[in-house]
Amino acid sequence: MKRLFTLLSLAVLVSLLLGACGAGATTHLDKIKQAGVIKVGTSADYPPFEFVDANGNKTGMDVELMAEIAKRLGVKLEWVDMPFDSLIAGVQQGKIDMSISGFNYSDERAKVIDFSDQYFNSEDAFTVADGFKGTIAKPEDVAAYKVGVQTGTTQDTWLTDNLVKNQKLPEANLFHYDRADQAALDLKNGRIDVMMSDYIPAQALAKQIGGLKIAWHGAAGSGGPMNIVMQKGDKELTAAVNDIIKQLKSEGFIDKLANKYFTVK
Amino acid sequence: MLSNFVSYILQGTFITIAVTLVALPFGLLIGLLLALIHTYAGVWATRASAIYSLLMRGVPPIVLLFILYFVLNSNWFNLEPFWAGSLSLGIVSSAYQMEILRGALLSVSGGQMTAARAIGMSKLQAIRHIILPQALRIAIPPWSNEASIVLKDSSLVYALGVPEILRRAQQLSATTQQPFLAYGTAALIYFVLVFATNRALDYLSERSKLPANPV
Repeated sequence: MKRLFTLLSLAVLVSLLLGACGAGATTHLDKIKQAGVIKVGTSADYPPFEFVDANGNKTGMDVELMAEIAKRLGVKLEWVDMPFDSLIAGVQQGKIDMSISGFNYSDERAKVIDFSDQYFNSEDAFTVADGFKGTIAKPEDVAAYKVGVQTGTTQDTWLTDNLVKNQKLPEANLFHYDRADQAALDLKNGRIDVMMSDYIPAQALAKQIGGLKIAWHGAAGSGGPMNIVMQKGDKELTAAVNDIIKQLKSEGFIDKLANKYFTVK
Repeated sequence: MLSNFVSYILQGTFITIAVTLVALPFGLLIGLLLALIHTYAGVWATRASAIYSLLMRGVPPIVLLFILYFVLNSNWFNLEPFWAGSLSLGIVSSAYQMEILRGALLSVSGGQMTAARAIGMSKLQAIRHIILPQALRIAIPPWSNEASIVLKDSSLVYALGVPEILRRAQQLSATTQQPFLAYGTAALIYFVLVFATNRALDYLSERSKLPANPV
């Protein structure tokens, strides 16, 4: 009898525990709202999208945009700074709730994570030094030169898939950099002839470093919409963020930000 | 503005020191244990510790970092970036420290163990009171080398977003377009830290030198 009682109480306990788990199985968005904090990853070394200012505070277009998104979600924003390469792994593993870091859409990325709607549309640019003698009439023309690109960007993928794989651009002439500004400095120093990057940061770099000009810009197949990176299948959070992006676009908030950060002064 | 930047990098120094202060002692603890096992335990335990040393010296620290942070990640095991980074550096270092300490243990002549046993000490007592006090002294100079390596390897935790010296230097280099200033500051801080560590350990080595045994 005593044994039966023990068994019964155990059964009750287990079912209670399971019940509690069942009730606790809320969506990611609910969990974020419950905690009152959203952890957003970014790689704060990509001006003007995300960078640190003189006081060590994060700033940039993505940073201000995300602050507004968090405000409208009704939660506090907690930044998690990671190198660009680590961000997607961070989202996949749930170490961060989402990531905004100038991500362009790509099919390969879409296999492992979800994208929000685009919040901004970017173009590719080919930047050269002022004394550059060659011509870049179309993107494929850069195959004749030494090209620098930031590792892991969509431009990197485009160059590799469209120029290196079919041997138009010798592999030894494609130079990889951790960051776009390192490529720009090498461009100025004459170690490379052309830098491929997003158009807007290219303008900012050309302005900051000086002695550089944009030889061509447009969609080379790799530029395009910028999106926030979400965990695969995180429908509720994605929908909530998409709603806010839509509002912000219609209010002209994003255009205002773009003008603030991307106008070459 | 310039002084702000330098102080921003300087703030990373505390994190670099903290990572080192976790990784080094953690590595020492495991390394010492494995060195003792490798030197004095039975065949299988010796083999197991040898395999551990082989594996951990073979794995690039950054891979171990990613495994501990991104791969071993579940509801009940979810390390903060700081801990995942510090512990994986400690694990890698433990293999090197094990080899350093093993060498030191072996350089205490075997006759001492025999003598200790002959006067009635147990094996453990002999290790604790006769062998270790000498071996640890011998280990200080090579250990000082390992300490400066761990100090500089601590920059790897930036891959998990821990804002130590190098990550801050990167950010400032991106913002200011002055890589020489940013990385130069970082290099100077690392130099001062390594210099201070090595001098402190030299001093310890000098102070603890045995009068009868000038190693």
